[in-house]
Amino acid sequence: MNTTHPRRRTAAVAGALALLLAATGCSSKADGKGASSSADGVRTGPGVTASTIRLGALTDLTGPYASLGKSIVQAQQMWADETNAEGGICDRKIEIVVKDHGYDVQKAVTAYADIAPDVVALPQVIGSPVVAALLDDIDRDHMLTFPQAWAASLLGKESVQVIGTTYDIDMIAAVDFLTRTKGLKKGDTIGHVYFEGDYGANALEGSTWAAQQAGLRIEGQKIKATDTDLSAQVSALRQAGVKAILISAGPAQTASLVGVAASRGLRVPVVSSAPGFAPQLMKTPAAPALAAMLHIVSAAPAVSSELAGVRAMVTSYKKKYPGSPVDSGVLSGYNAAQLIGADLQKACAAGGLTREDVVRAHRSRSHADTGLGSPQDFSDAASPAARETYVLRPDAQADGGVVNEEDAHKAPGVDEYLSTRG
Amino acid sequence: MSALVDDLIDGLALGSVYALVALGFVVIFKASGVINFAQGSLLLFGGYLTAVLHDDLGFAGALAVAVLATALLAGAVDRLLLRRGDPDPRMAHVQTIVTIGVDIVLLTDLSRRIGGDLLSLGDPWGDAVVTVGQVTVAESRIAAIVVSAVAIAAVFALFRWTPWGLSLRAAAEDTEAAALMGVRLGRVRMLAWCLAGALAALAAVFLAAFPAPGLERTTGQIALKAFPAAILGGMASPPGALAGSLLIGLTEALVAGHQSDLHVLGEGFGDVAPYAVMVLVLLVRPTGLFGAKGAARV
Repeated sequence: MNTTHPRRRTAAVAGALALLLAATGCSSKADGKGASSSADGVRTGPGVTASTIRLGALTDLTGPYASLGKSIVQAQQMWADETNAEGGICDRKIEIVVKDHGYDVQKAVTAYADIAPDVVALPQVIGSPVVAALLDDIDRDHMLTFPQAWAASLLGKESVQVIGTTYDIDMIAAVDFLTRTKGLKKGDTIGHVYFEGDYGANALEGSTWAAQQAGLRIEGQKIKATDTDLSAQVSALRQAGVKAILISAGPAQTASLVGVAASRGLRVPVVSSAPGFAPQLMKTPAAPALAAMLHIVSAAPAVSSELAGVRAMVTSYKKKYPGSPVDSGVLSGYNAAQLIGADLQKACAAGGLTREDVVRAHRSRSHADTGLGSPQDFSDAASPAARETYVLRPDAQADGGVVNEEDAHKAPGVDEYLSTRG
Repeated sequence: MSALVDDLIDGLALGSVYALVALGFVVIFKASGVINFAQGSLLLFGGYLTAVLHDDLGFAGALAVAVLATALLAGAVDRLLLRRGDPDPRMAHVQTIVTIGVDIVLLTDLSRRIGGDLLSLGDPWGDAVVTVGQVTVAESRIAAIVVSAVAIAAVFALFRWTPWGLSLRAAAEDTEAAALMGVRLGRVRMLAWCLAGALAALAAVFLAAFPAPGLERTTGQIALKAFPAAILGGMASPPGALAGSLLIGLTEALVAGHQSDLHVLGEGFGDVAPYAVMVLVLLVRPTGLFGAKGAARV
C-alpha cells in the first residue's frame, strides 16, 4: 500500500530541485577576470592579494600515483617555506592549495572548478587524462600549468608548460643509446611495449622515427595499465628475435617485462621511459634483473646525482621530511616550483601578477636554469622545453633507486625529428 | 615451437587462476542467484592481508589467515548486508546491485591503503624458473597450476560428496522444494560465500607472484576476466567455469603472443579476446558450454 500522494511527491521533488539550483547558483563564484591594482602598484588578479600569492596543485594522494603525488606536494611545500623564509615573492607570501583527485578525471574537473578562482597558477597537475580534460579550461583561464605528463599532444598551448622533454624525444634518445652502446645495427629488431593512450602513442612515434633513421625495425606490443603479467608479450618479442626492448608503461609493467625476459633467457638491454621506473621496484623479485638489464631515459638527472643544486635539495628534503623516500617526484616537483617562482618574480618586476602577466613572463624565458638539470627554453609553446636527456641506471643503494649513467646530451636526430614534425 | 609451449603454459596457468575466481562466481550464483561483483575486491582484500602479514607470520601463516579472513568477510557480506531476514530468491537482482556497492567500498579503502605501492606477498617461489629443453617456466606458474588443480578438485569433491554439496545442488535446482525438504538455505548460502572468498584470496597469491611484480591496487580487476569465463561456462556449472577459464586463459596468452600476426584486428586484441570468445560461444550455445539445456527462465 502506497501512502505517499503522487502529486505531493512530484511537488517535493520539484522543490528539492529548485533548492539545489538556487544553491548552485549562489555558490558560482565570479570568474575574477577583472584585474585590479594593489597598494604597491602591482597589477593583481585571481589568486593574488596584497599579502599572498596562491598557487594550486591538482594531485593524486589516494590513487595509483599516490607516492609520486606525496613527493611532489612535500617538495613544493618545502620550496614555499624556503621562499617565504626569505621574504616571499613580490613582498607576498606563497601559499599552495592542494587538491587530491585520486586520478579520477571527474573529481579533478570538480577540484579545478573549485580552486581555479583563487589561484594564479598550477605548478602541479598529475595525470595525462586529467590534463587532457582540463586543457580547454586552463587555456581559457590563462592559468600557467605545469602538468606531470609529457605527451607531445600537450604542446602548443600558451598556458600549459610540459617541463623537460616529451616522450617521443626520450625514445629517440633511447634508440640512440642502444645503437651507440649496445651494438644494435641495421636490420635488427627492437621491441617496444607501450601503454595505450597519449603516453604510449607519443613514445612509439619517437621510437618508430628513430628506428627508421637507423635502419631498425620496431615490433610494437600495446598493453593496458591493468596488464601486470607480460609473459605473453615477452614470448612474442622473443619470437620476433628482438635485440633490445623499449618500454613506455608503468613501473609494474617494467618489473614484469624485465623479470620475465630474464627468466626466459631473453637477456637483452631494456630502456624505459621515465614514468616506467619507481624506486619500489628494487624491492621486488625482479630487482637483480632490473639492475643488470634496465636503463631509463629521462629529462631530469638522478636524485643521487652530483649536481650541486640537486645535492642541496636532497639534503634539505631529508632534513624536513625524514623517512620520506627521495624519488624523482621530489626533484620534478621542486624544479617545477622553482620555475614558477622565477616566473612570478619576473612578472612582478614587469609590474603585474595577473595570470596573463605570469604566462607572459614565463614565455619570455628562453634559458631557464634552476641548477636541477638541463636549462629549458619556454619561448616557443609549440616545441619541447628541453631536448637533452640523461640515461639512468637502477641502483638499489642510491637515493631514488637510480644513478646517472650518461650525462645530459642531445641525441642526434632530435632537431631533425622536431623540424619534420613541424 | 618453444614459444608455442610457453604460450600454452602461460595460458594454462592464467586459466587455472581465473578458474579459482570463476568458481567463486559460480558457487555464489548457484547458492543465492546473486552475481557477486565484489569478487575482485575480495581477491584484493585477501592479497593485501597476505602482503602485510607475511613478514610476521611467514608466507604460509599469512596465507592461511588471509584465506580465513576473506572467507569470513564474504560470509559476513552475505549474512549482514544481503540477507537480512528470510532468504528470498526474488531479491537476487537487488542483492547483485548491493554487491556493486560493497565492491566500491572495499576497493576504495584498499586502494587508499595500497596507494602506488607494489606489495610483495613473500611467496616461496620468487623468480625461480625450471628449464626443460628449450622451454623455461617460472616455478610460480607450475605452483599456480598445481595448487589451482588441487583446490578445484577439492571444491568439486565438496559438491559431489558432502551433505553441504548435496544441499547446494538441491537448492540450486529448486529452492522451495529444497527448503521444504529441510535444507537450511541460509547456512548453505553463507558457506558458499565463504568458499568463494577463500578461493579469491588464494587466487590473489598467484596473480601477484613472479611474472607479475607484486600486488597492486588494480590486481582485483582480474575478476573482470574471470567473469566471461564463468558466463561462457554456463554460470551455474562448476565444470563449465573450469573449462571456460582455461579457454579464456589460453585465448588470452595465444592472442597476446601472436599479436603481430593479428594486426588486422588492431593492436591490443588480447584484452578483447576473452569477450570475443564469450560472445562467439554464446551465439552457438546461448546457455553456455555446460549450461542446462532448455533452461528457459520466465
